[in-house]
Amino acid sequence: MPEPQHFFRSRWFEDIPVGEFHVFGNHTFGEKEIIDFGNKYAPYPMHTDPDLARDTHYQGLVASGWHICGVWMRLMVTYMERYATGVRDGRRNGAGIGFNNMQWLRPVRPGHNLTFTYEIIEKPDKVIRDKWGIIRSRNEAFNQYGELVFTFEIDILAERQPVDDLKTTE
Amino acid sequence: MKMQYWEDLSIGQVFKTGTITIDAEEIIAYATQFDPQPYHLDPAIAKESIFGGHCASGWQVCALMMRLLADTIKDQSIASVGSSGVESLRWLKPVFADDTLHATIEIVNHRSIESEHGYGLIACAIDVKNQHSESVIVLNTDIMIDKRNPGSNTD
Repeated sequence: MPEPQHFFRSRWFEDIPVGEFHVFGNHTFGEKEIIDFGNKYAPYPMHTDPDLARDTHYQGLVASGWHICGVWMRLMVTYMERYATGVRDGRRNGAGIGFNNMQWLRPVRPGHNLTFTYEIIEKPDKVIRDKWGIIRSRNEAFNQYGELVFTFEIDILAERQPVDDLKTTE
Repeated sequence: MKMQYWEDLSIGQVFKTGTITIDAEEIIAYATQFDPQPYHLDPAIAKESIFGGHCASGWQVCALMMRLLADTIKDQSIASVGSSGVESLRWLKPVFADDTLHATIEIVNHRSIESEHGYGLIACAIDVKNQHSESVIVLNTDIMIDKRNPGSNTD
């Protein structure tokens, strides 16, 4: 069955409200994916070797913080495609430009399930290359015990509604 | 090389990493797992995108930075415990297929943590550049380093 067209609408920067909140996905970290990521990008015993990891500060295998970031992205892309707030047509959502205050607060171990949330906290008053606005969101992840394990604030570009467009809708 | 503990490191020290080259296959493999957007998955679509070429996920660039950092810490025998976060990071330029990256790591702060006697922190400013010496990402991050003398809180 074809999906309804309106379901895939995009929003302009102006349409996106501060305070919007989403629980956008969850993921269970497997031992193999933790080790695969560690071997490729973060080759430390705490990410690559369950036995040696026991003797580290973390007392067991833990996911690399950058692995958690990758999972955040995967869930975000999947969610945005499903709910069509912009990524679908690749036009009104721009690139991420940076993030602040990223903290890995607790270890993420094999079998842990993280639930990810996203809240728009600010729309800084700045226009980039004449057409983009900045959407600043606070992103958090909680483990299966309800403990906050990961948090950061990211700035992502969103396309501003063209002035001509505004005239025709007025 | 002799193990370098927190006490052995100081503000102003700069480490140069090795290099790492990323190809189209790796860009697609990462994107398939973590960032399945057309301009990372499909070189033809990427050419027409705002990036103007087949580029890596920004998060893959972070992961490649981690690899450069991890290899340098190993080469230098620095007793790193890991990192608890990143104060700030900026994505400045896309990283395209077959780009070669390297980085400089500068120690900009060096401090104890009152509640933690086993290790101290170094704050690092990391600048990752491509083969044209253009910065692709810059970041500030705290790295935890084992102390030679756990319990000593003097700088």
